[in-house]
Amino acid sequence: MSFLLPTHYRIAYDSITRNRTRSFLTCLGIGIGVGAIILILSLMGSIQNLVSSQVASAGSDLIVVRPSQEKDTLDNVIDQLTSSNQYLKSNLSLKDVTAIKKIPGVAAAAPISKSSATISAERVNDAGDNYTTTISSASIIATNSDLIKTDRLTIASGSFINKGAQENTAIIGHDLSLALFGSTEPVGKTFTLYGHKFIVTGILSKINDPINFNSVDFDNSLLVNADYIKSLDENVQIQQINVKTETANSVPSIAEDISSTLSSSKSGDKNFSVAYGDQISHPANELLVVISGMLTIVAGVSLIVGGIGVMNIMLVSVAERTHEIGIRKAVGATSGNILLQFLFESLILSSLGGILGLILGYVAAFLVSVVTPFSPYIDFNILGITLATSVSIGIIFGIYPAAKAAHKNPIDSLRYYR
Amino acid sequence: MSPLENSNFLPYNIPNTSRVAESGVKVVKNRVIIQLDKICKRYGYGDATSYALQDFDLKVKQGEFIMIMGPSGCGKTTLLNIIGLLDKPSNGSYSLNKEPVNKISSRKLAKLRSHKIGFIFQDFNLISTLNVLDNVTLPLLYAGFGKIRREKQADEILNRFHLQPKEYYMPHQLSGGQKQRIAIARSLISEPEIILADEPTGNLDSRSAHIVMEELKAIHEEGNTIIMVTHNPSLTTYATRVIHMLDGHIDTDIKTVADKDLPVPVSVHFKKHKKSKGAKN
Repeated sequence: MSFLLPTHYRIAYDSITRNRTRSFLTCLGIGIGVGAIILILSLMGSIQNLVSSQVASAGSDLIVVRPSQEKDTLDNVIDQLTSSNQYLKSNLSLKDVTAIKKIPGVAAAAPISKSSATISAERVNDAGDNYTTTISSASIIATNSDLIKTDRLTIASGSFINKGAQENTAIIGHDLSLALFGSTEPVGKTFTLYGHKFIVTGILSKINDPINFNSVDFDNSLLVNADYIKSLDENVQIQQINVKTETANSVPSIAEDISSTLSSSKSGDKNFSVAYGDQISHPANELLVVISGMLTIVAGVSLIVGGIGVMNIMLVSVAERTHEIGIRKAVGATSGNILLQFLFESLILSSLGGILGLILGYVAAFLVSVVTPFSPYIDFNILGITLATSVSIGIIFGIYPAAKAAHKNPIDSLRYYR
Repeated sequence: MSPLENSNFLPYNIPNTSRVAESGVKVVKNRVIIQLDKICKRYGYGDATSYALQDFDLKVKQGEFIMIMGPSGCGKTTLLNIIGLLDKPSNGSYSLNKEPVNKISSRKLAKLRSHKIGFIFQDFNLISTLNVLDNVTLPLLYAGFGKIRREKQADEILNRFHLQPKEYYMPHQLSGGQKQRIAIARSLISEPEIILADEPTGNLDSRSAHIVMEELKAIHEEGNTIIMVTHNPSLTTYATRVIHMLDGHIDTDIKTVADKDLPVPVSVHFKKHKKSKGAKN
């Protein structure tokens, strides 16, 4: 059969170049589907890289404790996203933070308790009139003074959460400060949260890194003392505990210690996970993973539509070349020869579509990178997925027209004229 | 001097190198290569059943040039299609070289078509998107010959028909007579035992028809077996046997040449070139 491949290639090339417009449109159909998948994979890879690089910059001495060891299974993610208050699911508590801190070798342990609430602040306009700025669903992070050590945050002005300071104090993110007070000098200003007055004691330096392993956009968050928030809102629970060890070498052993300590304090309940190194970035941004999954399904649908386009064009091609099929069979072509000939053509069409999709996908990824922090992510896996997808589409959607051509009766085919 | 009177132009002026009987090869004269017994070809079902061929018996010996004549719809083309393994009979048995072909697979039928049978059609049936060379080499492509062998044999056969200068022409650039000679070259290139021609002169002017018939005559004189369907009674002068068909039966079957006077079969056209299975291009 190998000696027929150059012939099949030439026939396919002739057929594709003879009908340039329709071949291009067919390739475009595949290309859009493949391009969409590449864009999504590129974005996902870019997010993963961002998180990984952040974990790397956070240091190799970081351990993250999260509720639910099966957090990254799809059912759990969907369950979390659809439940009315996912924070209620967590079984981590401030007691666990205290327990972790007592483990030898632990330098710092900071809880991260995410919630959202409405905050409001009094402002004075240029005319000297008072008015209130309200931000609904502001991101509130209940934590402790160790967060600045575990996450390497820096304070632009003022001070971070202090153990000895008043309980109703808060540290504000750069962008949130601008939105709430219209200034990046908010230290000493007050705002209302849960009906209580809070005073801003510090402002974080701008980070501009909304995608990270904490799933917290610190620029748009308010950091408050966890103990105080717990007294205001009983429902607030801990979604993550960031632990910093004294030395990087002791990370695995301390992670085991944390695991056994928490397990014994919860009567053997293992509904939490202890991650370090690359594991930290895995379950980050579950929402993005689910959205990416959904987008991939949509892109898959467009790929199927593109595949149907290939099938349609191949059926037209078979109909147009029925007489030729009759001649080829009369001079000795087997059904297998005819099948391969048409399958080869659909493979070339879909492969060209795949190449077009690769270009389109990366052009789109580049355009996205202009307005977002996600730089285009190129990986051999993505190239492999592109190739495999294109070839699969070519075979799946080319087999029916090719089989139809192969099973044509030579006599009827010879009688067929365009 | 007309082209036909010019001995160099005559198609049957075969170069000695291309068709020489192999010495030492035992040639069996007058062997039966086609045997049809009680062949029926039925179309439709129930009351709508009609028969293109009914209880049709035929024996064809090597070296015969058979003309099949008859009115339209008498079953001539159906007979040719069955002999050419393009169609299968509804009933009866068909043996090619004493081997029954009724129950062999479509893949083997295709192989037999590429090796044993050459087709010549009324409307030439050249592939319009392929040039002359590619059209002529088509049977060899499916017979498993490599590109170099295919082109070498095509060169020889096109040279024989004085069409070598046209080998890169497209079919639409050729006259009807040239197209039919290309079709004849294509039918001969795989050295078939049987050449089936379905009204090969039907679409040609008288001069081109004459040239084509002279080609067929030359091919026959080399010992090839030719079965040709025609409506033109004047062409029967070329035949060694004339069969008149009527309603799916043989009406008359007249031999104009005795079996002993049939041309001696020549073994091979391209004796230097053995088939190269799986040869690379």
